[in-house]
Amino acid sequence: MKRSFYLLLCITAVLLLSQSCTEPQDFSQFDDLRITPTLATGLFYMESDEATINDSGSLSTFYIQTVNFDAFNEQYVAEHLIEGTITYEIVNTTSKQLRITLEFLDEGGNTLDAEQFDVQADPSGTNIWEVAYGPGGKSLDILANTSSLRITVTNLGDTTSVSAQSEPKIKFRSAAEFLFRLK
Amino acid sequence: MRIRFYFLFFTLLGGSVLFAQNKELLYDFYEIPQSLMVNPGVKTSEKWHVGIPVISGLSFQGATSGVTVNDLFANDGIDFTTKVQERVLDAMTRKDDFSTTNQIEGITVGFRGKNRPDDYYSFGMYGETDVIVYWPRDLALLAFEGNGGDNIGRSFDLGDLNLRGEMINVFHFGVNRKMSESLTVGARAKLYSSIFQFQSIKNSGSFVTTEGQDNIYMTSIAADMQFQTAGVRGFYDILEEDTGTTKKDIKSLFAERVLFGGNLGLGFDAGFSYQLTPQTTVTGSVLDVGFIYNNKDVWNYTLNGSTSTEGILVYLPEDIDDLDNDLWQELVDDIDAALPHGENQKSYISFRPVKAYGSIRYDFGEAGGNPFDNCGCGVNDQGGGSNRDYYPNSVGGQLFMMKRPRGVQAALTGFYQRRFGRVLALKTTYTIDKYSFSNIGLGLNLQAGPVNFYILGDNLLGYSNIADSHYASLQFGINIISWNDN
Repeated sequence: MKRSFYLLLCITAVLLLSQSCTEPQDFSQFDDLRITPTLATGLFYMESDEATINDSGSLSTFYIQTVNFDAFNEQYVAEHLIEGTITYEIVNTTSKQLRITLEFLDEGGNTLDAEQFDVQADPSGTNIWEVAYGPGGKSLDILANTSSLRITVTNLGDTTSVSAQSEPKIKFRSAAEFLFRLK
Repeated sequence: MRIRFYFLFFTLLGGSVLFAQNKELLYDFYEIPQSLMVNPGVKTSEKWHVGIPVISGLSFQGATSGVTVNDLFANDGIDFTTKVQERVLDAMTRKDDFSTTNQIEGITVGFRGKNRPDDYYSFGMYGETDVIVYWPRDLALLAFEGNGGDNIGRSFDLGDLNLRGEMINVFHFGVNRKMSESLTVGARAKLYSSIFQFQSIKNSGSFVTTEGQDNIYMTSIAADMQFQTAGVRGFYDILEEDTGTTKKDIKSLFAERVLFGGNLGLGFDAGFSYQLTPQTTVTGSVLDVGFIYNNKDVWNYTLNGSTSTEGILVYLPEDIDDLDNDLWQELVDDIDAALPHGENQKSYISFRPVKAYGSIRYDFGEAGGNPFDNCGCGVNDQGGGSNRDYYPNSVGGQLFMMKRPRGVQAALTGFYQRRFGRVLALKTTYTIDKYSFSNIGLGLNLQAGPVNFYILGDNLLGYSNIADSHYASLQFGINIISWNDN
C-alpha cells in the first residue's frame, strides 16, 4: 500500500513537471511591427551683422553659397523617410528688408525646389515658416534627390541706414523633423 | 532584423522552458549528490557516487522580469505595435532583464576518503552558458520614438546598454569534511576554460536634442562605451568564411576551447552546514568566486568622446570668404573625429557571477530509523538520535544572492521537505524574486537501489502557459550512489 502511494506520488510529480502547456503563439505578428521614430536636427544657420550688408555696397546679393548636403539622399534616409517638416525661422533686427532664398539642387546642380523668404526690416519679430513634405505636402523626392543647397541672401533695402538695435543682425535658422519608417 | 528579433526572444524568452542561477530546490537537498555543487559544505551521506555522463546534471533556465512571450505573441487580436508600445516601451525599465543559464554536467564523481572517512571528495566537469541582457530602455525609446516631437529636451542614457554572456567549461575538485558532529565544511577549486565571453557593462553617456544656442536645435552626444569580446571572433570568422568545412571547424574550435585551448580562469566555492540543535541546521555557501583572464581572440569595440552640433553654421562677416562647399562633409567629419570609435585587442579580466546561499532548516516529525545507517562510511554513526536524517520532515527558509552587472539580485525561499525512507524525498519551495512572486517549485529524488534519479522544476504555476511565464527552470539527472561496500 505504502509502496503504491510512493509510486503514485512519483508519477504525479514527474507528470506535473514534464507536462507543460502553452497557449498558441502567433510569431508572424512581428511582421506587423511598425517602428517610426521622429528625428529632429538643426540644418543650416546663417547670421550676418548689418555692417556686412552695408559693406557689400551696390551688390544687392551679399551672400551666396552652395554647400553639399547629402543628409537626405543617403540611401537609407531616402528609402525610409515617410514625411516631415522643415522649419525656417528668421529674425531680422537690421534696418533692411531682406530676402533669403534656399534652393534644393540635385547632383547635376539643377534646382529641384526653392523656398523664398522675405522679411521686413526691424521690427519684424520672429518669422516662422513650416514646409511639409510627404502626404499633403511637397514631394519627398525633392529631399531624396537633393545633393546640395544654395543659399542666397539679398538686400532689398539701402546700404546706408543703421538699425536702432544695439547689435542688428539677420539670423536664419532651420531645422528638420522627419518621420522615418525603420520597419 | 527578423532573424535577430527571433533569436533574441527564443534565446532569452523562449529559453524559459528551461533553469535559473538560483537552484533553491537543489540547495541542501542532500539526498542528491549534485547538492554539493551549490554547497560544498553540505552534509554528505554516501560512500561514493558517479553521475551518468552528460545526464547526471542538466539544468536550464530562462527568465524575464518584464515582458513575456505571451504578452507579445498571444493570438489576441491586439495590434502588435500597440502591444510593444504598452507592454515593452511603456512598462519595462532599465532594471528589467532577460536572462538564461544552462549547465550540463559532463562528469561527476564523488568518493569518501579511505583513510579519512570524514572527507568526501568530488570532482568533475560541467559546461555552463550564462547570458543576461538588461532592457536598454532609453536606446529602445530612441529607436522607436526618435529624438523629435515630445522627446526634444529628453536626455537618452547610453548607459542603458548593459549585457553580459559567456560559455565556459569548468573543471572542479572539491573536499567536504565533517569537522565535528555539528559542523561540516567544504571547498571546491575550479578551473575555467572559456569558450567565449562578451560584455558591455561599463557604459555611460547621453544623447540629447535641445533648443540650440544659435540654430533651432542642438544635438549633443557624450559617450564612453565599450563592448568587449573574447573568443567570439574565432567563431565569427569561421562562419563568415562559410567554407565547406564550417561545421567541422566550429566543432574543432569548440573542442579546443573546452579543453583549455581558450582563455583560462580560476575560482572557488566554499560552504558549511552547522547543526545548531539536533533539529535545527544553518547552512551557507559562496560559489564562483573567480575570474577569467581574457587574452586570446580578444576583440573590443569602443566609442568614446563628446560633441554637439546645430547643423551647418555660417557667421558673417567671419565666413564671408569661405567658399568651401563641403561644409556638410566637414560637419560629418568633425562629429566623427569628436566621437572616436575603434577596435582594440586589449586583454581584460571578466569576473564570474558570484552567488551566495544561506539557509536555516528545522527537522521534525516522528522519529524513525536512519535510512543511511548502512552507509559504511562512518559519518552517520551518531548516538543519541541526533542525526538529522532521523526526521522525515524539514521546513525552513533560504536566501540566494547573485552578483549581476547592475548589482545584487536576491531571492527568498521558503521550503518544506518530506522524506520517505531512502527511496523518495520530495521538496517544495515558494520563492520570491524580481521575476516572480508566485514561484512554487517541486523537486523529487528517487532512489531505486543504487540508481538515483532526480527532477526539480520551478515556477510550476507558469507551466499552465509557459509562454506567459516570467521564469522557468528544470533540472534533472541520474547518478549511481553507494552507501556501502557493495
